[in-house]
Amino acid sequence: MEITSGNGFGPFEVFLPVRSTATKSQQHGDDGFPGRLFIVEGIDGSGKSTQLSLLHKWLESKGYGVVFSEWNSSPLVKDTTKFGKKKKMLTAATFSLIHATDFADRTEKSILPLLKAGAVVLCDRYIYTAFARDVARGMDREWVRELYGFAVKPTVAFYFRVPLETAIGRLLDGRNGFKYYEAGMDLELSDDPEESFRLFQGLILKEYEDMIPEFDLTVIDATLPIEVQQAQVRQIAKSHLDKAANVRVQP
Amino acid sequence: MRKTYGKLLPGMRTADLSGKLIVIEGTDGVGRSTQINLLKPWLEEQGHAVLDTGMTRSLLAGEGIRRAKEGNNLGRVTQSLFYATDFVDRLENEIVPALRSGFIVLTDRYIYSLMARAFVRGMDSKWIRSIYSLALEPDATFYLRLSIDQLVPRVVFSRGFDYWESGMDLYPGRDMYDSFCNYQTALLEEFDRLSEEYKFQVIEASADAEGVFERLKAGIFNILESDSRKEFISARDTKTLSISSAAGKPKFAPAPQSTNATEFELVLRSILAHATNGSGKTSLHHK
Repeated sequence: MEITSGNGFGPFEVFLPVRSTATKSQQHGDDGFPGRLFIVEGIDGSGKSTQLSLLHKWLESKGYGVVFSEWNSSPLVKDTTKFGKKKKMLTAATFSLIHATDFADRTEKSILPLLKAGAVVLCDRYIYTAFARDVARGMDREWVRELYGFAVKPTVAFYFRVPLETAIGRLLDGRNGFKYYEAGMDLELSDDPEESFRLFQGLILKEYEDMIPEFDLTVIDATLPIEVQQAQVRQIAKSHLDKAANVRVQP
Repeated sequence: MRKTYGKLLPGMRTADLSGKLIVIEGTDGVGRSTQINLLKPWLEEQGHAVLDTGMTRSLLAGEGIRRAKEGNNLGRVTQSLFYATDFVDRLENEIVPALRSGFIVLTDRYIYSLMARAFVRGMDSKWIRSIYSLALEPDATFYLRLSIDQLVPRVVFSRGFDYWESGMDLYPGRDMYDSFCNYQTALLEEFDRLSEEYKFQVIEASADAEGVFERLKAGIFNILESDSRKEFISARDTKTLSISSAAGKPKFAPAPQSTNATEFELVLRSILAHATNGSGKTSLHHK
C-alpha cells in the first residue's frame, strides 16, 4: 500500500510517530505541555511499582497535582481485555491492539488533558511495555511503534534494570503460579508456566535493553537498595520540575 | 497469490487462501446488508460456501464496542483502535480460515469504511494505513454509492437518525439532521477518494434493490469466472475425477454409490462454471 494520500493532520496537535525524524524539541513531551509525565518500565519483579508509589507520595507532599495511570486500566476497554484473556482468544495481533485501545482511552481522557492542565502524570508501564511484549509475541517491531504514534512522549522514562533471576526470585516468593498470558503461555515456549515465564521475560528483557538507546530510557539499577533507587528517581524528577514554570502546585 | 497491504500477521501463510474475498462498501443506509442478504443465498444455491461478516461482529470486541458507544464518551483514537481490534479478530478467526477452506467471504464493509471514518475524525492517514497494512487485499470491492440528497430520504423512511451515523461526536450541530448532512458529506468525499486509490467497482445505489443486485451479480460472476479452481475440471479427464466412485476406496466420498463419474463431473462443472449465472430461481423475493 502506498502511504501517500489523505489528510496529514493527527488526532492531537502532538500527533507524531514515535520514531519520527523530528528533532526532540518538535516532538511531544517536555516543552509541549505545562505538565510533566514520568513513567516507569521494567520486567515483572523489577520493583518499578514500588518506586513509582514512593515518588507519588513525595510529589503529593510537595504540593503537586499528581495523577496516576496504570497499564491496562481503562474502564471502557478493560472488560474486553479481561474477556479475551479469560477465553484465551487473544492472538499476538489482538493482544497488541486491545492494549493500544486501552492506552488510547487513557491518553485521550486523562494523560493528555491533565498534562495540558499542568498536572504531574505518573504511569506504571507505558508504550515501551507494549513494544517489548508485542515484539516478543511476534509482532512486527515497526508496526507496533507506528501503532502507538499518538502517545505523548514522557518527560522521563525510568527503566528499572534487573537481572532475570533476581526478578524471578522476587516474584516466586510472593505468589503461587503465573497466569496464562503473564507467563507468555500463548507463545508455546514451554508447557511449564514457570519455565515459560522465564523464557518470555528473557525475550522481553532483550527488547528493553535494545530500547534504552532507541528511546533514551533513564536506567536505574534495580538491584540497589530501595532507598538509593528512590533518591535517584526523586533527584531526576526534581530537576525536571524545577524548570517547569506552569506545573500546578498547591499554594 | 493473495497479498496484504504491506505487513503479515505473525504466522500468517497467504499461499493457500484459495477462497474469494468480496467487499461491499458504502456509507450508512445505502443498502449493503440488503444486498448481502440477497447475494448469500444466490451464491449458496450455486454450491458455494459463503461466510458473511461485518463491522463489530467479532466475539472479542463486538460487545465492548457496543457498550462503549452507548456512553458517548468514546474518544476518536480509542474508537479507531477498538474497531481495528474488532477487524483483526475477525480477520484472524473468520476471514482467513474461511478463505483457506475455499469459502466466498462476503464482508459488509472492510478497512475502507474504517479508514474513511477515521479520516473525517482527523486521524493521521499514515497512522491508520500502517495499522491496516495487516489486512488482505480483497478480490473485489463493490462500492454502493449514493449522493447525500439520495441518502437523506432513506434515513427518513427507515430507522431515523442515529447518534453515531450522524457524526454527533464530530459535528454537534443544532440537530441530528444538520450533523448527519455534514458528516455523511465528509464521509462520501473520503469514500470517493478511497474509491480511486483502491480501484473500487462503483455501483450507483440509487436504483432499486433488484437493479443493484443484478449489477452485483454480474460483478461477482466476473470474479468467479477467473477462478483458478475451474482448472480442476479441465485439467483432469473423467477417470481422474471419478476417484470418489470408481476406485472402491473413496478418498472423499460425498457422492452416493449410484452416482457415476459423468454425473458427478456435470454437477461439479456446473458449480465451478456458474452455468446459470444466477438466472435460476433466485430473485429478490427468494427466502
